[in-house]
Amino acid sequence: MDILNLLLQGVSVSILPANLLSCIIGVLIGTLVGVLPGIDTVSAIALLLPFSYGMDSTAALIMFAGIYYGSKYGGSTTSILLNVPGEAASVVTCLDGYPMGQKGRAGAALAISAIGSFIAGTIGLIGLTLLAPPLAQAALAFGPPEYFSLSLVGLILLSKLTGTSTLKSALMAVIGIMLSTIGLDSLSGISRFTFGIDELDRGFDLSIIAMGLFGIGEILTAMTHADAKPDIPSVKFRDLYPTKEEWQRSITPMFRGGIVGFLVGLLPGPAATISSFISYGLEKRYSKHPEEFGHGAIEGVAGPEAANNSAISATMIPLLSLGLPFCGATAILLSGFMIHGITPGPSLITERPELFWGLIASMYIGNVLLLIINLPLIGVFVQLLKTPLNFLMPLVAVVTLTGAYSINNSMFDLIWVIFFGILGFLLQRAGFEPSPLIIGLVLGPELERGLTQGLIICNGNIWTFITRPLAATILSLGFIVILYNFVTWFTKFNNKRKELDANRS
Amino acid sequence: MENKTVTETKKYPDKPITLIVPFGVGGGMDLVARLLEKTAPAQLGQPLVILNKPGGTGAIGWNEVVGATPDGYTLGITGIEVLLQPLYGPTKFHYPTALEPLVQISESPMVMAILAEQPWENLDDFIAYAKQHQGKIKFGHSGIGGIGHVAGESFSKAAKLNLEQVPFQSAAEAMTNLLGGHVQVAFLTPALANEFVKSGMVRILGVAGEHRLSNPDFANTPTFKEQGLDVVGSSWFGIAAPKGLPIEVKNKLADGFKAMINDPEFQKNIEQLGLQVTYLDPKESAEKWLKDSQRLTKTVQETGIVEKIKEQKK
Repeated sequence: MDILNLLLQGVSVSILPANLLSCIIGVLIGTLVGVLPGIDTVSAIALLLPFSYGMDSTAALIMFAGIYYGSKYGGSTTSILLNVPGEAASVVTCLDGYPMGQKGRAGAALAISAIGSFIAGTIGLIGLTLLAPPLAQAALAFGPPEYFSLSLVGLILLSKLTGTSTLKSALMAVIGIMLSTIGLDSLSGISRFTFGIDELDRGFDLSIIAMGLFGIGEILTAMTHADAKPDIPSVKFRDLYPTKEEWQRSITPMFRGGIVGFLVGLLPGPAATISSFISYGLEKRYSKHPEEFGHGAIEGVAGPEAANNSAISATMIPLLSLGLPFCGATAILLSGFMIHGITPGPSLITERPELFWGLIASMYIGNVLLLIINLPLIGVFVQLLKTPLNFLMPLVAVVTLTGAYSINNSMFDLIWVIFFGILGFLLQRAGFEPSPLIIGLVLGPELERGLTQGLIICNGNIWTFITRPLAATILSLGFIVILYNFVTWFTKFNNKRKELDANRS
Repeated sequence: MENKTVTETKKYPDKPITLIVPFGVGGGMDLVARLLEKTAPAQLGQPLVILNKPGGTGAIGWNEVVGATPDGYTLGITGIEVLLQPLYGPTKFHYPTALEPLVQISESPMVMAILAEQPWENLDDFIAYAKQHQGKIKFGHSGIGGIGHVAGESFSKAAKLNLEQVPFQSAAEAMTNLLGGHVQVAFLTPALANEFVKSGMVRILGVAGEHRLSNPDFANTPTFKEQGLDVVGSSWFGIAAPKGLPIEVKNKLADGFKAMINDPEFQKNIEQLGLQVTYLDPKESAEKWLKDSQRLTKTVQETGIVEKIKEQKK
């Protein structure tokens, strides 16, 4: 009851006109940031920092947080409509969201993603409200050996998300890991595979590769049938929203995604992105229609979009209760806090309860606002698809390229977006699915860092990893799943052989 | 021609001044730049335009500053990496000589943090334990060759210990691993340790500065020098211009930045970031660069950091 009282006090802070207004501004900007590819949360908040100086600190923090969680709502929009991920966390939404759009179900995909975001965002917030300090402590138990184990198991389980060929998927994942080693090694500061080109030191930004492979790749594919009229049938208002069957198929994935996202969000790293992939993998495994994945399965939109939103709520836990940012976006939030004279840390909840609970209450309100903003926008966005391709695609190219330039203010990055675009186009032609490449790119560095740091901590002995209870548990879980897959594959193979033998005789 | 330059420098500044930040948005350096941006129009007469050019531990951004026309319209924010980078191998420019310091804004010495639940009450306890338990103690820092690493290695050497180092991506990550007990010691800035010291989770055994910190939370924390160990390592932020600035422009900028740093609101904001305002004028900054460069050259060689990096570069 104590928490409920505190939360109610928080609500009374967050509905003060100035705070409510900042919340609205925050989530509006967040939605915009999410929709526009290339403009990420970090740069959006950084650009707004100077304008926030005159604001009251609570109001400013509510606004920044609004931008942060708001951006994950909008991220799916361009994924579904144009195959251009608006945020790295929405890459996986392209896989089924875009095919849904092509089938005239863009409205349903957008609605499910908005509602899923709302449900999961709220699940995450409840976790944040009830469990923040103990969970933050629990997250600290994860050290480098544990990250190594998690990334290893993740890579093995997630690399075959779509497509039929395990070999092709594994190849893509390996190329992703290889690409991730280019640039300045984040631990030793040594340049690797840069051929002395300073600009390569930065490494490849995830968004650059994602925008290239998916966005530009799709534009090039569209060019090969440029005279085609968009075959989107005129959408009736009723069709904008999910059917009963789509609903029923989405509701469990939403909750499952919400829980997965929350757990992943507690750990350092690009949690929103990783959790969306994990959720996609889970949904495919549990789905009654796994063959539909990659061709517009609604679960493939509902789960990941839910996961990345509850991951956002969870990333606020280490930030608010320890003052430690576990990812880039919470790092800039921390800066925003500090500029306003607030240092999050173990004492924030006791020293500034009105701020802490006010912020959390504003996130509940913000999630409702986002749902109210996003649902009517669906109709507007779907109209976009009526634009003839020969007008739409050049426009998408301009938006994508501008976004790519703005990430690092670098012309060099533009060249790479186009390069990866051509690569994405060719891969698609050759029947390769680019998403395992993204997984390799995201998990590769985590794997490598965990291994390097873990080995130093364990005095160079890798077997020490399995004497650590957490790492051992993760690794054995992974091992069991692999074994299970192998056994089912072998049984299938055996049955098939017996069948063939039977047929022959 | 000459007249034109003279009138141009007299009119300076008549357009916005670009300030290149060679690190990403949201880092410590970026925040300082954005605080300057806030007070600039009043004190410089023109706005500062911040341009982030991240990459190469600052190299990409600083290369751009060095290569810019020295007309006072392109400046760069600088940090200790300006001095450290050239020590580890050839850089495109030798920043300490290719750049001209205009001002130092803040300075913060590294601190040595341990978990408060550890049995070591002071540095002597720690050293005694580490000597008895070779290979048990690992220290975390924010990246190989960075100032945290330099401070850690020079402590390890001065105390005749053989501590092993664990590099992390950022000081915050090093702090996380200290709190989780995955490393036993971390060398980082007081700003990051402050909240944990206040809440009693973390104890500081030494400050790698010439003097104790002015922050009351650290008032009882002795420096390494007080404890008989010559361990000094501070990170700092400053502003520099490409070499060859006209003297009038240089003076105007130096005065403008001085006024900005003396602005009470700016000082308040800087302190909120956990930084200590330590103003140095152009001449003092240049002297400090020279002195620090010499000392760091010696330290990174004696502690074997250079050797380690060169070995990895092969």
